[in-house]
Amino acid sequence: MIKLVVGTEAMFFLALIMAYIYFSLLPGFSPQQADHLDIRSTAIFSAFLFSSSFTFWRAETNFKKGKMTRLKGWLLLTLVLGVIFLVGQGKEYARLLRENVSIGSSLFGTSFFTLTGFHGLHVFAGLVVISIITALTFMGDYDRSTSSVFGTVGIYWHFVDAVWLFVFLIVYVLPHLHKITC
Amino acid sequence: MTGQLFLNINPSSIFDAASPQASGIRHLTIEFIIAASAILILVVILTSFISIKYRSKYPQEDPKQITGNRTLEMWMVGVPLVLVILFFFRSLATMNAVLPDRGNHTPDIIITGHQWFWEAVYPGTTVSTANEIHLPVGKKLLMQLNAADVIHDWWVPALGGKMDMIPSMNNYLWVTIDWPGIYEGACSEFCGQQHAWMRIRVVAQSPGDYALWLRREAAGAHVPQDTLARAGAVLFQESTCSSCHRVKGTTAAGMTGPDLTHFGSRQTILTGMMANDSAGVSRWLTDPQQVKPGAHMPRFIFAKDSIRALTAYLEQLK
Amino acid sequence: MTDINLIPEPEESLPSLSVSNDQGILQWISSVDHKQIGIMYLWLSVLFLVVAGIEILLVRLQLAIPNNHFLAPEVYNQLFTMHGTTMIFFVAMPAIFGFTTYFVPLMIGANDMAFPRLNAFSFWTTFFGGSLLYFSFIAGGAPDAGWFNYAPLNEYNYSSSPGIDYYCAGLLFAGIGTLTASVNFIVTILYYRVPSMSLKQLPLFVWMILINSFLVLAAFPSLNAALAMLLLDRQLHAHFFSTTGGGSAILWQHLFWLFGHPEVYIVILPIFGIFSEVFPVFSRKPIFGYGMVVGSGIAIALLAFGVWVHHMFATGLGNTVNGFFAASSLLIGVPTGVKIFNWLATMHGGSIRFSVSMLFAIAFLIEFTIGGLSGISFAIVPIDWQLTDTYYVVAHLHFVFIGGTLFGLLSGLFYWFPKMSGRVPDQRLSKWFFWLFVAGFNITFLVQHALGAMGMPRRVYTYPDLPGWGILNLISTIGAFLMAGAVGLLIYILIIALRKGALATPDPWDANTLEWTTTSPPGLKNFDRVIPVKSTRPFRDYKRPADADWKANATDPTTTKPDPHGK
Repeated sequence: MIKLVVGTEAMFFLALIMAYIYFSLLPGFSPQQADHLDIRSTAIFSAFLFSSSFTFWRAETNFKKGKMTRLKGWLLLTLVLGVIFLVGQGKEYARLLRENVSIGSSLFGTSFFTLTGFHGLHVFAGLVVISIITALTFMGDYDRSTSSVFGTVGIYWHFVDAVWLFVFLIVYVLPHLHKITC
Repeated sequence: MTGQLFLNINPSSIFDAASPQASGIRHLTIEFIIAASAILILVVILTSFISIKYRSKYPQEDPKQITGNRTLEMWMVGVPLVLVILFFFRSLATMNAVLPDRGNHTPDIIITGHQWFWEAVYPGTTVSTANEIHLPVGKKLLMQLNAADVIHDWWVPALGGKMDMIPSMNNYLWVTIDWPGIYEGACSEFCGQQHAWMRIRVVAQSPGDYALWLRREAAGAHVPQDTLARAGAVLFQESTCSSCHRVKGTTAAGMTGPDLTHFGSRQTILTGMMANDSAGVSRWLTDPQQVKPGAHMPRFIFAKDSIRALTAYLEQLK
Repeated sequence: MTDINLIPEPEESLPSLSVSNDQGILQWISSVDHKQIGIMYLWLSVLFLVVAGIEILLVRLQLAIPNNHFLAPEVYNQLFTMHGTTMIFFVAMPAIFGFTTYFVPLMIGANDMAFPRLNAFSFWTTFFGGSLLYFSFIAGGAPDAGWFNYAPLNEYNYSSSPGIDYYCAGLLFAGIGTLTASVNFIVTILYYRVPSMSLKQLPLFVWMILINSFLVLAAFPSLNAALAMLLLDRQLHAHFFSTTGGGSAILWQHLFWLFGHPEVYIVILPIFGIFSEVFPVFSRKPIFGYGMVVGSGIAIALLAFGVWVHHMFATGLGNTVNGFFAASSLLIGVPTGVKIFNWLATMHGGSIRFSVSMLFAIAFLIEFTIGGLSGISFAIVPIDWQLTDTYYVVAHLHFVFIGGTLFGLLSGLFYWFPKMSGRVPDQRLSKWFFWLFVAGFNITFLVQHALGAMGMPRRVYTYPDLPGWGILNLISTIGAFLMAGAVGLLIYILIIALRKGALATPDPWDANTLEWTTTSPPGLKNFDRVIPVKSTRPFRDYKRPADADWKANATDPTTTKPDPHGK
């Protein structure tokens, strides 16, 4: 079931990414991109997000083995890493707004904030769900390991990370490469 | 759909082709109608025949339970496929004949769609007019189509296919008008409140007449001779008409509304809504929102005498 | 997975369609039973059908004579916009989902959908979306830029009333309802079938729903993205579609039609499924070419994503682009045509009973062929260049939406009404309804083909007094009122049937599929046990064991069966 949800959300992000790419080919866009995006700091908080996929995977395997204490640990770690990503994203947004790049300032602002914004929203939703299952774990609901909840949430969480991989490549890495080779 | 109307307008159906573009499309349309009618008749006959022949006669018994027939299935897929392929190639041929690439040609006319009127500029001349589009017959013309605000669409059925006018984009249509006359059409993309009254009026003229028209259009506005019209001219400047409308040869140079330099010589007003006469113009000036609600022209509270003066001025702008 | 008991099975019988005193409306509002949710979807659809119908009657009154002043243009533009939006999102879709959620579990031998609470959520979200859309009338004005709402007309500087924001929000909510419902359908069909039913034995209605649900999941996100972008443009002054800010007006069209074209298949594939049930039952023969029907359905779903530019042939994208999409659009006509012949071949050699359901099915064959052919004419690009955005399009879309989708829904209604309500509608009145509706429909829309060819553009609040325009529009208006009368008659027929119609038997049509093995209406728990499923017509096999399908299939699937009466 979650794969169907992931599939439909993938189509949604595809539409946003295609709009982004389309606009990025118009004049005036790439200088803005080059001037305002900081690949280094974004790479750092992205690393936190990617590693949260790893921690969630560890949580899943420990759940299957019935190791509840470890499960709780890995879940909490996932939450922390996810929150750090959102904080990093928030700081980047704040910096851009200080530089007068907003959703209404230019085509770059429009497409950047929309694409990363919807992604951030999906991260946030994922963190809410992970918080809920973490709380339920602490309350003992999963002490008998037959639930499919962790696998299901895992698929969603890995999807969110995969989308960020694409977004990071298209929005940060490719223009950066373009900048240093031209 | 036959016969001439009182203003010598050619009927405006897609079958009244007055250009090779339109006739090319008409040929294809007729070919299609024949093929489609054949298919429809086949379906109607089969449906009626089968319904009647196989209506239930023995309510309790079951007929032979046939589930498929490979040969029949092949035919059912094959025949439509062949027809489809045939029409595809005919389509391509007509597309390329009607709308070939524009190459390096400069447009003969640039038409910009506004809410809710047409602006026409003739490159190579100083002519800039509105709503009544004059074109020469017999020549292959390139029309450039633009939009000033929202998406509009240029369509004159007798002259060929339509083309959208999209802001920030240049679109093009080729047309070769066969013979002189008036060709009606309409904006064909919903563009807001008065989309219905964005009618198109193409006046196709012989090359001589067209050249004459161009010369007259290029000239500045007619200077008013009688006192009423002169009073109207003064009012025109004072009442801020000039901030939206242009009258070449005066200080009125507004670009928001239609160019009024030779307004008096147009046959219709308000983009095809009514005939161009004093009564119509007066009604419009009295309360635009009553006549064409939603139009971007504000309501000026003019006194009756002012309206008479303005009307007289506008009508003599020939 | 039928041994997983996540929800305890209740034992009391289901309240009937009418709200009885001891159950009350609260039971319906809180229901998670797929049958009650199905019925609520259907009533929602009927409500919006009446509303959208009134909207268009007003429009047709305005268009009855040239230069009319019955409606001001700003009112007219809201009415035609709401008519289109309502009919597609709040009449066609809920009606289809109503039949789907009611009958898919029954047809596969399940006791409910995979996610009953999600099912209720889907319905109520759709209901909320519709309410939000209609709230716009009293919140500053309904959307008025047409149901496909092109940019930049839909931007805040050209449409300052909040109507378009309500359009975006209402459709976003309805879209979420549609997506969640489709997820539910797929999981139900794939995992909740009675174990003996393989995919090759799935009733065709269920197959079409399965294919259709994937189509929904792939297509709606494009609309959601476009609506979200438009809201950002309008509310936060983003620049997606506003050309003054560097945005692209045509991006809206691409995103919208990437959704919009699959959407028309979304409202027709389930109908193909309904007809694939109706034709075999009322011809007493199996469907001709089960494999072809499934295969062509899949082909249509895949091709649906490759044709969207045929709504944009006049936007100046160039002959190469136009040519590619002309090819794909011509191609997609083939699988649809195949289906028409499949159904005719099903009737051929059969024993046809002319129930009202079958009457609509037979009428559909002709009406949908007309609609399909006029559609194909648009794939011939030069013809599209003349006829797009005219009344010819209006004629085409109504022949496929009414002659296709609505006729299918009516056929399904008359087929399944006895099962859902336990009552039989008056047959004589129903046949009157059929003839009146078909007459009204053809009178309204056949003339519109001519109006388009004569140069009348669509979405105009009035038109000049050109020869023939007035009389043809008047004829069309008269037809519309005939249709309205027919719909009024239908509602009367349904209410009388619910109140005092004859009681229905479990299997009034001598049908083939599992839903007919239950009582009319089914109990709260659909099945205690399910009859064995060894073919696509399990109930028929059960009733006629000597002539069972699976016996024929055991030898050769495509030969004819020896006639048991030796003819």
